[in-house]
Amino acid sequence: MLLSANEITIQFGGLTAVDKVSIDIEENKITGLIGPNGAGKTTFFNSISGVLKPTEGHVTFLGKDITGKKPYQINELGISRTYQIINLFKKMTVLDNVMVGMHTRLKSGYFSSLLHLPGERREEKEAYEKAYQWLDFVGLKDRAREEAGNLSYGKQRLLEIVRGLASGPKLLLLDEPVAGMNTAEKLEFDQLLKRILKLGVTIFMIEHDVNLVMGVCDSIYVLEYGKLLAHGRPEEVQNDPEVIRAYLGGE
Amino acid sequence: MEVFLGLLISGLALGAVYSMIGIGYSLIYKASGLMTFVQGDILTLGAFLGLTFNTMLRLPYWLSLILTVVVVFLIGFLIEKGIIRRLLNKDVNLIYIVLSTIALSYVIQNGAQAIWGGTYLYFPSVFSVTTVEILGVAVQPEVILCFVMALVGMICLYIFMNKTKNGTAMRAASMDRMAAEACGINVSWTTGLTWGIAAGLAAAGGMLVGPIYSVYITLGASLGKKAYAGAVIGGYGNMYGAMVGGLLLGLFETFAAGYISSEYKNLMAYILLILFLFIRPTGIFNERAIQDE
Repeated sequence: MLLSANEITIQFGGLTAVDKVSIDIEENKITGLIGPNGAGKTTFFNSISGVLKPTEGHVTFLGKDITGKKPYQINELGISRTYQIINLFKKMTVLDNVMVGMHTRLKSGYFSSLLHLPGERREEKEAYEKAYQWLDFVGLKDRAREEAGNLSYGKQRLLEIVRGLASGPKLLLLDEPVAGMNTAEKLEFDQLLKRILKLGVTIFMIEHDVNLVMGVCDSIYVLEYGKLLAHGRPEEVQNDPEVIRAYLGGE
Repeated sequence: MEVFLGLLISGLALGAVYSMIGIGYSLIYKASGLMTFVQGDILTLGAFLGLTFNTMLRLPYWLSLILTVVVVFLIGFLIEKGIIRRLLNKDVNLIYIVLSTIALSYVIQNGAQAIWGGTYLYFPSVFSVTTVEILGVAVQPEVILCFVMALVGMICLYIFMNKTKNGTAMRAASMDRMAAEACGINVSWTTGLTWGIAAGLAAAGGMLVGPIYSVYITLGASLGKKAYAGAVIGGYGNMYGAMVGGLLLGLFETFAAGYISSEYKNLMAYILLILFLFIRPTGIFNERAIQDE
């Protein structure tokens, strides 16, 4: 298992937002996390990416316990994430956003920049080329010099994803990646996910778009009221009476 | 013409010091969302420390300058880690943290008085000549040094912010803390670094004005307030705004003193500030940081 969350419980005061949820993420697969609004999906994500420390339970990534580590440490270990509310550096250029994503992989210090040493120049050139390649990956290459805030909502999502990829993660967490995308962008999105998978990056995503989730995921977890309701392959989950009840509100 | 040139040179030197202090206000505002009242007194502290290195330990001026900047950088870093961060973690209202910087400002002033006394201390000349001539105007060489060094400092800062890993991380963290952390940036470190750099710049300013004005416990307090006005005029929260605003205010004030009356120079400087607050609160650089909050 690439990542395992064991019996994660998250409480806010007396309220239990996530209740003993265990999940396993298999390498080179797309795993989905679905559930009605307020089921605790984002809260659960936050406990993996370090935004929140779980009240109880452990998260293991690549065999190491990463519970309670800080977000930047978790990123360094190889987990990138995107947010439900787009979280870009809106006043930086599109290119610079990707460069910040690559930040942890750069080495140059102050004096080598000041003196413009050959090693630094080479690294800078390579970094730019790499950043352009990443932008090309999501079709944003010709908009590299624009301010990120000027991109459409859907394009901003793509930029946030590619900024996450630029830090070279093993696991990418996506929180509602197609929210705000137009139909054409949504239709292309499953292809993008498959291309990301080919880079050797495993995907774990929260998504409301049922067609996308059922079409692309290898495995799906369903949360309701903070508890794990179901788990299985898309067709199993789709036919699970408990899941149908939760979604359609039947008796 | 000679009067004009003389005023221009001293105005630029004074303005450059405002710029150096003002950059600190802007960096800190962007990184922590706070204003600080301690910048000016850090300048005083830098001047006293530098003077001590220079006269008591008999170190050369340049070495004293470097040592002062390093020591005060650490002090700035520790102020953030030891006081500001701790208060922020307690989730207190931001105004209490601003108040803590006022308290700290007096602690430094009175601490300096206890250590170095309440009198004016003479800072030895940096150069052996007392004046140099520029286009027929006699100028104190320390005034030229002040302007040139401030300019060098600002250029170094520009390169740091735009070309280095830590600088890029600082810019990213100041724009969006959450996004920066998601990109693997240690925001707690970059924030400390910001306070350190702000303090280091102010301390360097103290070492530059020391030989011109002598050193006393309220040296930085008045410069710090003016620098604040300069930062607002430039666009509060904008590093380049603080540079330009500080220079403009220094020039404005010096020319007002030279051509109108030195008695009213402070009055006029603050009237300029009030005018800007009414007409263009986002400053020359139209910095919207204040409105975004």
